[in-house]
Amino acid sequence: MGKKGKKFLSVGVLLMGGLLCLSLLFMPASAQARNIKVGIIDCYSGPAAVYCNEALNGFKLALKEINKQGVLGRKIEFTTRDTKFKVDLALNMAKELVMRENVDALAGTINSGAALAVSEAVAKAEKIPLLVWISKSERITGEKGHRYVFSTGENTAMAGKAAGVALSRKPYKKYWIAGDDYEYGHAMADAAWRNLKALRPDVKLIGKSWWKPGEPDLVPYFTAIVAAKAEAVILCTGGRSMANALKTIRAMDLTKKVVPWIHTATEIAVLRSLGPGAPEGVLGTSDYLFYYPDTPENRAFANAFKSAYGSPPGFPGFHGYITAKFIAEGFRKAGSLNKEKFIDMLEGLKIDSPVGGKLEMRACDHQVVLPIYLGVTKKVPQYNFLISADNITLSGDEVMPSCEEIMKARGKK
Amino acid sequence: MELSQSISFAALGGHFFVGLSRAMILFVVTSGLSLVLGVLRVPNIAHGSLYMIGAFAAYTISRLFGGGSTAFWLALVISPFVVAAVSLVAERLLFQHLYQREHLMLLLFTFALMLILGDLVKLVWGAGEYRSIVPPQLLKGSASIFGSSIPRYNLFLIIIGPLVAVGLWLFTNRTKMGKIARAAAVDREMVGAVGINVSWVFAFAFVLGCFLAGLGGALVAPTISVSLGMDHDIIIEAFLIVTIGGLGNMWGAMVGSLIFGLTQSFGVLFWPQFAIVFPYTAVVIVLLWRPMGMLKSVW
Repeated sequence: MGKKGKKFLSVGVLLMGGLLCLSLLFMPASAQARNIKVGIIDCYSGPAAVYCNEALNGFKLALKEINKQGVLGRKIEFTTRDTKFKVDLALNMAKELVMRENVDALAGTINSGAALAVSEAVAKAEKIPLLVWISKSERITGEKGHRYVFSTGENTAMAGKAAGVALSRKPYKKYWIAGDDYEYGHAMADAAWRNLKALRPDVKLIGKSWWKPGEPDLVPYFTAIVAAKAEAVILCTGGRSMANALKTIRAMDLTKKVVPWIHTATEIAVLRSLGPGAPEGVLGTSDYLFYYPDTPENRAFANAFKSAYGSPPGFPGFHGYITAKFIAEGFRKAGSLNKEKFIDMLEGLKIDSPVGGKLEMRACDHQVVLPIYLGVTKKVPQYNFLISADNITLSGDEVMPSCEEIMKARGKK
Repeated sequence: MELSQSISFAALGGHFFVGLSRAMILFVVTSGLSLVLGVLRVPNIAHGSLYMIGAFAAYTISRLFGGGSTAFWLALVISPFVVAAVSLVAERLLFQHLYQREHLMLLLFTFALMLILGDLVKLVWGAGEYRSIVPPQLLKGSASIFGSSIPRYNLFLIIIGPLVAVGLWLFTNRTKMGKIARAAAVDREMVGAVGINVSWVFAFAFVLGCFLAGLGGALVAPTISVSLGMDHDIIIEAFLIVTIGGLGNMWGAMVGSLIFGLTQSFGVLFWPQFAIVFPYTAVVIVLLWRPMGMLKSVW
């Protein structure tokens, strides 16, 4: 490069630098303000990734709508970490998101054990809000609940109460409990049996069996249940084990011998993958169905989700969506990024539900009030997969533990 | 703690068949692992990944051919060859340069390969949905055996296992390539010294072992949800089975699979709350009794 060229280059660099300084000087205040940052810890590899990816899609869909207007002149951005369904990884990643990424709030995760650990060791210790979206252990906002943890999904207490109400109306007396041998499976079993026994003291538990999450061969377990002559079985499973369970139920014609109840058996992620090969007659509960209730709001939400991601939402998409809405509305009402103010505003906050009506974040336990839909798997001509039919809606008030019960569980009067 | 109280002959018979079907799936997968261990002395942790690829390939092939009964049979036949092709590439590019390395090095290498293959599956098939294959009409539903309802597909698996065992036995005992592979398992230097191209013998043994992993994946696909993580589920069980059976011994893999499958099945019957520990307890007992495995180890 000649002398002339060098001179031209240095003038250019100076001009660029000057322009950059000027642009920073005259930049609007709102643009200078940093965005709201949400750190998401969830399982993006391994068997549970199906649900976690969908929850993230729901979150992203809501952000698209929220960021059109912004919140406090900012946008909400997020960063994800893959926990691989491991508690230790979830803890390390949550700490890293708080310490290095300086996130304003944490969200996730599907693993109840991870949610409990992060809630205690990161959210409570570092005073950072954690919004749990698809973990279902009731201990998260129950016994182990505290100021910094919230749940935007239903939990085992709610599903268990729905199971209790549903099964108490059936004539069965001899029950078997079976499921995944980890926090969710046991919490679900305890809640369902506790509620059923309270409503129907004459029912009898004739056996229990537990398998490792993702167990590929459930035939021996179901054979034992049939051999014990159980009339109904409370199956506490989810994710990939759910698909395995439904396949085995179909292969063994189990519904002809024992009536199974499984929370989220009516969930689309599993029923769609099984297509017409899923079993009919399985009692299931869920807090979101894209076709029920058939409201204009629910249709619009399901269509928006489908056009963005190719298929209608299940409960994870719904939970991810409302989590983003709660975060946006919480910061909007707080008027700043102050975490304590944000928490104060979230308590008792009501947002528009994508299903219609309002959704409330209950102040006493930080648990969102959600209805539970009880139905039975059935083939219908409209879809090439089974859906939840003969649905009954149990309102949030019917299925949630009272604030007094929560305080009692936490050891407070 | 409660032991199951209602154990009848029918229940025992039913659980025997259920355990047998699980054992046969395990045998198909572990016979391949055992072959690779025996001939190549490679503790291939990526064997589980090849089993997973077999299941995913079966799903894709089944979908390509319309998802009916014919599609299932085609998937069952083609997907092991897909896995064999993947393993041939891996063997020629990577494994053939590493056979002389220490076992620890090979363990680390195959562990890394397992992670890479897991991510490749995620890239190719994605993690966004569960996948399912419908068994053919002939194998749908259940049959009553000793009063227990056993899925017909599980009975099909009980037939497949011995067929694979006989096929492998014929290969190793009645074919020239099989005899050379057996000889190489005992003394690879000697086989090379008599002018046999050991490299291709090893390649063939490796590909055959991986073919069986793919066949196992394709066979199990109709009974489970095909998803990421299948590799982790199978590989620990597979290594335990080949260890208790006798490292590198094909019949040992059969014995180990039977011990694992049957103790799991009977464990559920006798003590359902703690059924998970039964097969692992059996492994501990076998190893305390016969530290080198039930049958002769080639290591």
